[in-house]
Amino acid sequence: MPLLKGTLAEALKVRGVSRREFAKFCSTMVATLALPPQYLAAVADALQRADRPVLVWLEFQDCAGNTESMLRSSNPPVADVVLNLLSWEYHETIMAGAGKQAEAALKRVVQQDAGKYIAVVEGAIPTADGGVYCTIAGRTALDIATEVCTHAAACIAVGACAWDGGLVRSNPNPTGAVGLQEAVPGVKVVNLGGCPHNVANTAAVLVHYLTFHEMPALDQYNRPLFAYGRLIHDQCERRAHYDAGQFVEEWGDEGSRKGWCLYKMGCKGPDATYNCPTVRWNGGTSWPVKSGHGCIACASHRFWDAMSPFYKPLPKVPGFGVDVAAEEIGWGVVGGVAALTAAHAVGSVIRAKKGNGDIQKEETKPASPQS
Amino acid sequence: MTTVTHSIGRTSPSEAEEKLVRVYIWEWPVRIAHWVIFLSIVVLSFTGYYMYAPFITSRGSGAFLMGEMRFIHEVTAFVFVAAFLLRVYWFFKGNKWARWRQFLPIGRYQWQGFIGQLQYYLFVRRKPEFRMGHNPLAGATYSMIFALMLIEILTGLALYNRILGSKVLGFFVGWLPMLISIRYLREIHFLIMFAFGAFVIHHVYSAVLIGIEERSGLVGGIFSGYKFFSESRIKEDASHE
Repeated sequence: MPLLKGTLAEALKVRGVSRREFAKFCSTMVATLALPPQYLAAVADALQRADRPVLVWLEFQDCAGNTESMLRSSNPPVADVVLNLLSWEYHETIMAGAGKQAEAALKRVVQQDAGKYIAVVEGAIPTADGGVYCTIAGRTALDIATEVCTHAAACIAVGACAWDGGLVRSNPNPTGAVGLQEAVPGVKVVNLGGCPHNVANTAAVLVHYLTFHEMPALDQYNRPLFAYGRLIHDQCERRAHYDAGQFVEEWGDEGSRKGWCLYKMGCKGPDATYNCPTVRWNGGTSWPVKSGHGCIACASHRFWDAMSPFYKPLPKVPGFGVDVAAEEIGWGVVGGVAALTAAHAVGSVIRAKKGNGDIQKEETKPASPQS
Repeated sequence: MTTVTHSIGRTSPSEAEEKLVRVYIWEWPVRIAHWVIFLSIVVLSFTGYYMYAPFITSRGSGAFLMGEMRFIHEVTAFVFVAAFLLRVYWFFKGNKWARWRQFLPIGRYQWQGFIGQLQYYLFVRRKPEFRMGHNPLAGATYSMIFALMLIEILTGLALYNRILGSKVLGFFVGWLPMLISIRYLREIHFLIMFAFGAFVIHHVYSAVLIGIEERSGLVGGIFSGYKFFSESRIKEDASHE
């Protein structure tokens, strides 16, 4: 990709993105950001005139799923504009350069554009044993992340792994993996959790930054509220079946064919916040619940541990095996107390029968143990 | 206080000759709170269990079963909270048998009663500890139940506020989902229900058992408020505190 400095309008012209496609992209972004339509002109104007900031995309302990999610976005305007919105100087999966030249590009950005570029991080960062479990060009992930992110104007962690460690960090976490925020505590990170991130949200964050020169409003996990502020359950198209009491009992049953609620199949919609049901995937075609699978809360904090088992309504109880459900423990306690009570009742009857004869003795020696 | 003659069971011969006195132990707020808490827990358990595992599949286009279950659960929950608060208020306002001190095994007399009653339940001693109100072991058990109720109220309100999004409610319970993930709040809320179920079994059994041992009309006491004691026992109770 030739280095295209200058404004986005120029870049789009070179790339052959039509005015119409650009307008569509801007309305998508304004809608995703939950801004009123009046902002459309402001966003379009700001984006066209904005100098394209330099972007570096770092990949650490990841599966490149977030990169794939972005590249395979089937909504051409979004993919095109996002790729053209910024000057991508370093991205391991898609860059043409390799080896020393690629590393030189990263070094150049950090030195020349210090305080001006945007750093996007994908993947967890290992901290155990000096961070040796992920090294690039002889440097540890922790080392690279610290250098690149501390010199960046803004940091974005895309995907579950970069946010909170994700799958890599899930129990027992042999590499001591953590998310970007924990690995480099000094920098301010915008977290875009999800497995993978939804590129519409990532694009919207970049658009917000380029338009208003600040990051959107964030929640307690530094996730943008426009994307992570609402329960999936409250936005779900199957919600009416939940309220009606119509549930899928097993895969492929009548309810499953009729599109009933997946709550009993372990859907985590009532516990997860994300704009997945409205933004959707594959160009707004579908999302997991619409396609018939329950939500696994992939955009929730440390969801691999916190939300498993994915096909049961409640998590496993710590200290008990995976196959023991909370309900079984509950009934076990009730049954145990009932059995103990019954045994005690038998004991009390025996005591009463045995005790009838020696009440007087008992009264004089109240604390004498029963023989 | 009204004196009534009452046939006595297996008590000491000297006591058996004494007349029984009817004593007002459980004031109306205690009894109201007790029964409202009991009935609301029954309703909350049923609707709550349905919300965990909807065991009725509704048919027809007008069905709103889960919505109704949730509505009943939420309304009943506030009735439960009201009864709980009434009982907590009465910890400080009620007669000596309703006060908070009865629920903690602190002080020599209370501690003795606690150990003594434990020995009775473990068949180490033959007779239960005598107390006009709660025996100290029962009191300590109720403290734990009250604590579980408080956890149930807090987790329930935190879950409810996920939907309601109230700032006022968020002020009281907003810290909870930050501390414990919403999944585990749900699980804690669910598991404590079984603790109440187990407690009801034990509670009814103990009430009947101790009622038979004491011959004090213990079970009837929670309906009428009155229990029956001999003069010597009333004196014994009055000598403490």
